[in-house]
Order: sequence, then C-alpha cells, then structure tokens
Amino acid sequence: MGLSQVAVLASAQTELRPAWRDAQHIDLISSVVTNVFKGTGLTLDDVDFVIDSGSDVLDGRSISNCGFLGALGAHHKEEARVEEDGLWGALYGVNKIRSGASQIGLIVAYSKPSESDIDLYWASMVEPFYQRPVGFGQKAALGIQAQRYLAAHGIKDDALAAIVAKRWADAAANSKASIGEVPDSAAVLAGAEAAWPLTELMISRPLDGAVAVLIGSGDVARRTGRPPVFITGMGTSMETHALAERTENKLDSVANAARMALGKAGWDSAAAADVIETSGSSVIGELLTFEGLGLAAEGKGADVASSDKINRSGGALPADPIMATGLVRLAEAAKQLSAPVKAGAAAPSKAIVHGTGGVAMQTNCVFTLEV
Amino acid sequence: MFYAPDTAPIDLPTFKSTISLPYTLTPGRAAGVFLAEMPNRRIVGARFADGTVIAPAQDFSPRDGEEPTELVQAPETGELTGFTRVNGVVLGLVRLDGCRNSFVHRILADLDQVKVGQRVAVQWAAGDEGTSILAIEGFVPAADAAVGEVKPLVGAAEPLGVINYAMALHYDHAYGPYYGRMFDELKENGVVMGVRGSNADEALLPPREIDDITHKRTGTWKACADTGTIRACSLINVEVYGQTRQVPYAYAEIVLDGASTKMIHVIEIDDLETAKQQIKPGARVRAVWTTGERRGAVSDIERFEVIEG
Repeated sequence: MGLSQVAVLASAQTELRPAWRDAQHIDLISSVVTNVFKGTGLTLDDVDFVIDSGSDVLDGRSISNCGFLGALGAHHKEEARVEEDGLWGALYGVNKIRSGASQIGLIVAYSKPSESDIDLYWASMVEPFYQRPVGFGQKAALGIQAQRYLAAHGIKDDALAAIVAKRWADAAANSKASIGEVPDSAAVLAGAEAAWPLTELMISRPLDGAVAVLIGSGDVARRTGRPPVFITGMGTSMETHALAERTENKLDSVANAARMALGKAGWDSAAAADVIETSGSSVIGELLTFEGLGLAAEGKGADVASSDKINRSGGALPADPIMATGLVRLAEAAKQLSAPVKAGAAAPSKAIVHGTGGVAMQTNCVFTLEV
Repeated sequence: MFYAPDTAPIDLPTFKSTISLPYTLTPGRAAGVFLAEMPNRRIVGARFADGTVIAPAQDFSPRDGEEPTELVQAPETGELTGFTRVNGVVLGLVRLDGCRNSFVHRILADLDQVKVGQRVAVQWAAGDEGTSILAIEGFVPAADAAVGEVKPLVGAAEPLGVINYAMALHYDHAYGPYYGRMFDELKENGVVMGVRGSNADEALLPPREIDDITHKRTGTWKACADTGTIRACSLINVEVYGQTRQVPYAYAEIVLDGASTKMIHVIEIDDLETAKQQIKPGARVRAVWTTGERRGAVSDIERFEVIEG
C-alpha cells in the first residue's frame, strides 16, 4: 500500500442547501469544524495544520480565507488555502503528513454559490478577448461536450434522464443534500434547456454548504474510534484551457490522474473498487469520468452508470457545492467504507474518489481509499 | 451550528454588494493584432514552425506552448465541429479552412439548421464593433462556400497595447444570525451589540457564534458604548480607487468601551497638522451618528470624533 500511513479519521457536513440564507460562510465553516471532532477523541488542539478550499470569486472577497480563520479553527496554526476543490486540499494535507512534518490535518471546503451570479463566476474563468464576448462559459462548454458525445455514440436523452433521476433519488436517501421533490426521468427531460442538449437537471446543481475532513497518520488513525480508512493513492492532471484542443469525447486528465493513483495503490484497475464517488459537472461529464477511470469503454459510460457501486450518495449532479464537491465525495466514500452494511454492501474494502474543477472539467483528481 | 437554523425562513433579506473592478488587459502581440485587425475585417491566425495554423491568433500554442513563427490571414470560411444553445443563442466551435483548431463563436442559425461538419462563413457585424471580436457577428451556414486559404498577413496593424475592461460581480450576502441581530440593533435602537468572548466579559465585534481564538462558543449579547479608544490609525491624504470620501481623513482602529476587538472607522480632518496631534493611539473618540434614517449598516455611524480635553 503506497500511501498507507495517512487515513481519513472523520468528516462532518452541513446540510447542502440551495441557499443558506440564514447563515454566513463562517457559520457553516465553524459548524463543521466543531462537529468533525465528535467521537474521535481528538480536539482542535491536536490539529497540526488547516487547509481550506473555497473560491474568492464566489465569496466576493479576495483572500477570503483570511476572514474565515477563526471559524476554521486556524488561529495561530499553520493554515493554507487551496483555490481548487477540497479534494486537492486533502491531497496537499496527505503529502504534509506523508512527509513526516505533521500528524493530524483538518481539511475544510465550503461554498455559497447562492450569494453570487454563478454564470459570471464561470465567465470569469474563460479568456477575455476571444471567449467572454461571445457568451462562452461553463454551460456552453458542457453543452458542446454533451452534443459531441451524444452524436459520436448515439446515446438517447432518455438514457441520460434515467441516470439523473437515479442520482437524485440516491441523494435523497443517502446524502446530506437538501432534496425536495425527486424528479423522475420525464421531469428531467421536461426541464428547461440549460445548454442544448442538456436540460437544467442534467447539469450539476450548485448548493451551499461546508464539509470538514480530519486526516491523520496511521499511528493516530489506529487509536481513533473506527477502523481507519487509508488513503493509498492519489493522482491529479489538468487539460489544456482551450476546450477545442482537448481530446474529443474523452477526459484524458481523469485517465492520467487515475493511472497515478492506481499505480501508487498497486491496483490493476479502478474496477477493483467497491465504492466509487465521482464529481461530474454534467451527466455527460459523469459518463466521461467513468470512461476515464477505466470503468467502461469509450462511449459506454452509461452502461455502468446504474451500478450500485457508483455514486451511492448521488454524486455531484443533485449536489454540487462548488469547491467542496470532491471533498464531500471523499467524506461519503470514507463513510461507506467504515459503515459498509449501512451503505448496502456486504464488506466493501476499496473506494475511488474523484473531484474536478474548471470549465468543462478541465482539472481532475483521483484518490484510492482502503480499509 | 448551535442555533436552530431550520426555524428561520429561507427568504431572509441579504446584503447586496457589487465588486466592480477596472482592468487594463494586455492582449499581447498575437491577440493584439487580431483585435486591431477587426475593423479591417481580417481574421488573423498564427502559424507555427511545423506549418500548422491556429485562428484566432495566440502567442503560444494551446497544445504545447510553442511560439508561432508568423501571423497570417485566415480565411472567412470553415466548418462546424460542435455546437450548443445557451439562453437561445447557438454557440459553435468553428474550424476555419486551413487551420488545425476550432474556436467558439455565435452561429447565426436555428438549431435545427446546424450540424457538425457543415460549411459556415463569417458574417461581419453591420455596426461598428471597434476592435472587439464581436466585429464578427457570427457564422452562417454556407453549404456551397468554397474552401478558403490561409494567406500572408500583408501590412498587419500594430497590436493593441492595453484594453480598458471592466467586470462587475454581484453578490447577495447572507447576514447570518449574529450579523443579522447586530445590524438590526444598529437600525432599530442605535446600539452597537457584540457577544462576549468564550471566557471574557468584553464583547467581540462583530459578533459571531465561535470565538476566533479559543474556537469555543461565544457568550451572551452585550451592548457596547459608542465611545472608545484609538488603537491604531493612519492619516489618508492620497486619492486611490475605491475611496468613499474626500481626502484628507483618518482611518482608525477603535476599541469601543466594553469590547475587546477593534472596529475600523473614519475620523474627519480639518487640517493635517492638528490631526497629527490629536489622532493617535490612546486618543478617546465618540461616534457621530447619522442624522438621517438609520439603515442598519456600519455607516449609520457617520464617523468618529476625538473627545477633546
């Protein structure tokens, strides 16, 4: 086991809601930081460093973590910000512990997209001379990605709608996401057009919320309450910014990140995992992720999408707290490994966790977990 | 969260805020020439050492970072390689003839008229779009358009130096239970309320649920005085972007009586020499409240003034 000495000790999440109108960022953050220690026997005093993920643009202030340090429990501690999904924050934290410099790290990610104009957030990420003036952004990029994929593989809208409906039902049953009415396939198809051929529900839904994950060295992990969930492999890779220059109908960066993670873990294939939690920015993004992970052949992602192993928490489609989504996946996967029966499996022992960021999933990160 | 958030309505009022930042963007040589050529209705591409061409021109290859060897004039025809529709506007990836890459632009056709692989031709904007890429209004289906050729760029325009640009981002910030009460008390009662620290009688301002230093739950609410002591200050006599009042004025960190934390506010100045004598750490100050209607904002206190004697 490559990285056997770092484990997920515990996690805490707020409810993930369309809008936390009655709470500030600091309220959400301090809630998860307070709650993550419960049952571990550890306290904030035991934490060697804090790493947080969020977006200054979404938050509406620069270096926004500086205003959140108290809520993060980072007063007079080593603190660092990762302006990327919290799964990269965890990657940083694991390496700090692996280096021997620290033993216990607190990884926090949060999001309040309800406070800003999400289309402007994405527009701020694209190129200002050629792309922004014509109205290019996340929706357009996901729409083009989907149009090409569907055209290449002859997949029908109703197959996609069934996948989306399953994700919402699973999120209602198994996640911290606030789910009102669970849409059926017909409702998914009948939804407003987000970016043809994608309807609103075929694109991940931005939600407000926070998540904290406590990680620690193997020695600490063996002394805390539950069987340790070890992080045994990690990988990350990024596509070129120019959407049209990326390989058509593939997420090479998912494949690269998976190759790194699996190599470290010593697994032959991601199919060895009993639990798979992914962060697709759209339903097509999810299928491309399965294919990149090697769970399905090119164009065959839909064939595995309904597997009981995959996105038992509902994944990112019904609940995408941007910048926290991947860390939520880590928390959900670790929970399923440490409470296998509750998660509906006999004895899962391995998990794959995927996080993403950027326009049309430009950057991707993969973890392997083992108990 | 220790309080019961589920009991609160979801449609609470928010604090509306806009961040609007001015920029002077530097397009560099390739994009600078491309944009400078827009009024001339020429599409500028870039050729690399291997002979391949991309359009619009870039100073680097998006594939491998290589620098182009020359700028060229790209043709006005090409083919569609992907498309979508957002907010009723069809956007497509267009690969111009002789180019290796596609780029995003508007497709001026209904969705049912477009398909991947079809021929398209540029449509120039009727109006004056200046040096924007929107001088190209978009691309129209052109089934019979002849295949265009990449040509040398003869008499290239000088690249644009900098481009004035502005971006405004709009926010609806939630107050949360603690700021919410603080601003309500300011508005309704003209009182500055904080909460006691986790192990102290002095109040934290602004109030919060968790003590920043101990990460323990904070104490009970406490009204602070509207008098206090300067702990740090700066006399501002230079105009900078984003100022909300005329210089000179003082910017002071003030500990209100009854509080333990500093709040930032302003003190007006008549003349700098007197201000240097009066406004300094340790000086006592009092709040000057607005004479108008209180709005539930820090600006309900217009400014602070030094208590003389």
